[in-house]
Amino acid sequence: MRISTRKLLDRSFSSVGVISIALMGLILLVILVPIFRKGIGALVFEATVEHRRLILDNFDHGDDLELAAEIKSAREARQPVYEMVQAFESRQQAKIDSLRPDLETLAERDDSMGRLVARRLKRLGPDEDFLEQVETIQQLVPRLREYGDGDDAPKEIAAISSGITRITSQTLAFAELKEVLYDLLGPAPGEPMPQLTRKQYGQTRWEKARETIDHLFFIERWDYSGPGMGTLVREPRVEQFRETEIEPLFAYVEGHAEAMLQPRWTLYWGFLTDKPLDSHIFGGIYPELIGTIYLTLGAILFAVPIGIIAAIYFTEYAKAGRLISFLRACVSTLAGVPSIVFGMFGLAFFLNVWQLPKGVLAGSLTLALLILPVIIRASEEAIRSVPHTYREAALSLGAGRWRTIVTVILPAALPGILTGIVISMGRAAGETAPIIFTAAASVAAPLSLNPLQAWDQPTAALSWNIYNLCTEHEAADEIRHVQFGMVAVLITVVLALNLFAIILRARIAKKLKG
Amino acid sequence: MNSSDHANPLKISSDRLILSARANLTQKIMAWVGQAFLFFVASVAATAVLFIIFYIARDAIPFFRLRGFQEFFGSTRWYPSGSPPVFGALAIIFGSGLVTVGAIVVTAPLGLSAAMCLSDILPFSVRQAIKPIVEILAAIPSVAYGFFALVVLAPLLQEDGGPILAVTWYIVALPSLTIGIIMASDLLTFRITTEKKRSMARRLLALGLFAIALPLVVFTGQILFQLKITTGTNALNVSFILGIMALPTVVSVSEDALQAVGRELREGSYALGATRAETIIQTVMPAASSGILAALLLGVMRALGETMVVWMASGNAAQIPTPWFNYLEPIRTLTATIAGDMGEADHVTGSARYHVLFAMGFLLLLLCFVCNMLSEWVVSRQQKKLRGEV
Repeated sequence: MRISTRKLLDRSFSSVGVISIALMGLILLVILVPIFRKGIGALVFEATVEHRRLILDNFDHGDDLELAAEIKSAREARQPVYEMVQAFESRQQAKIDSLRPDLETLAERDDSMGRLVARRLKRLGPDEDFLEQVETIQQLVPRLREYGDGDDAPKEIAAISSGITRITSQTLAFAELKEVLYDLLGPAPGEPMPQLTRKQYGQTRWEKARETIDHLFFIERWDYSGPGMGTLVREPRVEQFRETEIEPLFAYVEGHAEAMLQPRWTLYWGFLTDKPLDSHIFGGIYPELIGTIYLTLGAILFAVPIGIIAAIYFTEYAKAGRLISFLRACVSTLAGVPSIVFGMFGLAFFLNVWQLPKGVLAGSLTLALLILPVIIRASEEAIRSVPHTYREAALSLGAGRWRTIVTVILPAALPGILTGIVISMGRAAGETAPIIFTAAASVAAPLSLNPLQAWDQPTAALSWNIYNLCTEHEAADEIRHVQFGMVAVLITVVLALNLFAIILRARIAKKLKG
Repeated sequence: MNSSDHANPLKISSDRLILSARANLTQKIMAWVGQAFLFFVASVAATAVLFIIFYIARDAIPFFRLRGFQEFFGSTRWYPSGSPPVFGALAIIFGSGLVTVGAIVVTAPLGLSAAMCLSDILPFSVRQAIKPIVEILAAIPSVAYGFFALVVLAPLLQEDGGPILAVTWYIVALPSLTIGIIMASDLLTFRITTEKKRSMARRLLALGLFAIALPLVVFTGQILFQLKITTGTNALNVSFILGIMALPTVVSVSEDALQAVGRELREGSYALGATRAETIIQTVMPAASSGILAALLLGVMRALGETMVVWMASGNAAQIPTPWFNYLEPIRTLTATIAGDMGEADHVTGSARYHVLFAMGFLLLLLCFVCNMLSEWVVSRQQKKLRGEV
């Protein structure tokens, strides 16, 4: 080849290498940036008055006097909306009532139709729920039509059913609007409190509230009439309510949304310290956090003593031989066992043979096995890197072998061992597969801080609940902020541990250089 | 100890340094007992893996005894809760293999070129600054990768999968095509002796090759561009993420292997007039080949044994895609099946449904064991080779 071609090849070879390293950094950014950007949204966000109400009701954080004033002003801002809704309802009610005489004459007839109408009539009246009344009369329409085809049907039947249809078509649109309003503002004043927490409050987050307001203004549907995948059509909802009492509602909400919800930037520390409410739709991730801490510390508790002792034996006592090389091969095989197999072993051995309950202890033991090889290797390396002069000095002072190890070698190797422990803590905190069968529970009360009470309890854990919330949760799309928040917390924990290890190692390197 | 000893510590009679026979014996026994204890703990730690193999095998064997090998390895029909149940794991094993191959295709070029760059191209200080990137990639928990694959990458692939693939294709294909053509035209015209003629021929040849290859590249790009990806949770998504997860292992192990080759070979090669690229590809790589192989095997192990990513983002459809290399279809892997089905398998009565999952676990264990042993063997062979024993 010509020199210039060779040079070109050489350059492009180097640049491929540099590009691949840059690509690695880029991939890291692409993964971490969205997770942290959206994860922070779980802690720092524009919270509406509904959020503050929820926090005060359920966790007792916040100033109730201040909040009462806030709720009052929000309620005042909402009042016109409810008035418009009320006015619309009462006019529709009047329309229903105007149908009443016709229906009553129909009910007097002595046939199946008459009896049906008579039964239905009992469920109409100003005391009944408006939407239910509409449903009741709506169900009459097909029967009335059918009946109207008969020979001896009264003439006014057609008029009745078309009157009903007029009322119902507008009311259906109204019911939809009311539902969106409910999503936005929660139960109207005077409405009975529902059981589910998610139904007791309006939108707690301003960005979600804005989405809901968008739903209020526009009806979205997919149009499949054209070729291809279908297109999204947005129709202003106001069209359905032209020249009714509802029409000014849209303009009012547009102008007064902030007054109605009072969004304010909030730092919600409770995300880390509060219990979740209504399967994580509100509240924090305290049970997950405490579960992860328990499992990690438990794993360290079992793995560290065993790992360090094994490392001492392998480095200080073991003589080269078949047995020792076999044991070493075993350790390296242990490091290569897939994490899910650890989980199966935990299930088959700790749960089924040892009869441990599914809980923190079984999970910790399983995780301990997983991190054991890491700790053994790191400790071995740390002990080996202690200079020989230390050992010889201690021995020459008359210290025995064991005393040398305990008083001289281990303290000198401690930072290195600590690095291994910290890294394996990060590993244990992030692992999911080993705890699926041995410790994890999707919904669990937070563990007691007393280990004697907690050891046999199944627990939520960050890693498991990330999986659970984004695949098995009924409203996984609605709680993305919680999921991102959890992932960000988990990654922060793991990276903080790793950063600590990196710093520790840098200090050791400096110390060894002198 | 009396007060005179304190006054003059150097004045110790010699017999005090000698232990009595009894004390000597106790100390020896203590030392022996202590060592036995250390040995015991160490061997428990080390033989834990034997326990794992034993207990997984113990629950796996009943399945094969009950239903034989034919169904498990021969059938693609996986209906564990049907009546009668069918436990054909072939499609699932295939799925595991498919994503592992995909992961290696992603990780091998990226990881190896990064390792070469780290060991031979970048200066030491830059290398130290880049190490943390690799470490952070390794530290991110698998469930976070899975979350990324499911929540960020899958919708992206589903919406704009075709354009993304096309752009990737152009970025990879155009530069390598250019370099390849320049190289080929140079090599093919080597025989022509006249300098002027040769240069002419080279240019014409390059132009010709370009005219042939460019439409092909653009055509493929167009096909990719128009590709409609029906679901973002597919083998491609998982392969890509698994490839990234395997990167740190591949990079650090193969970098170690490249470093282990030593200066002499490199300097010899430079002295013969080779460029850096030629030195790395023709001298260093062959010498480090077994270490690189070991790195790739460890990468395979990581991809094969990974659970959360595949469980979350592979679509979990127990089927062999049509055609079999179609990475855009959802698949299902061994690990995901174990994780997903264990909850429904009745392990109290020990039904076949429970044991079949252990059979899968055992298969997984076996595969990882083989990979591990192979990589260890390969590395020890390289070490021997470098020491000149083979």
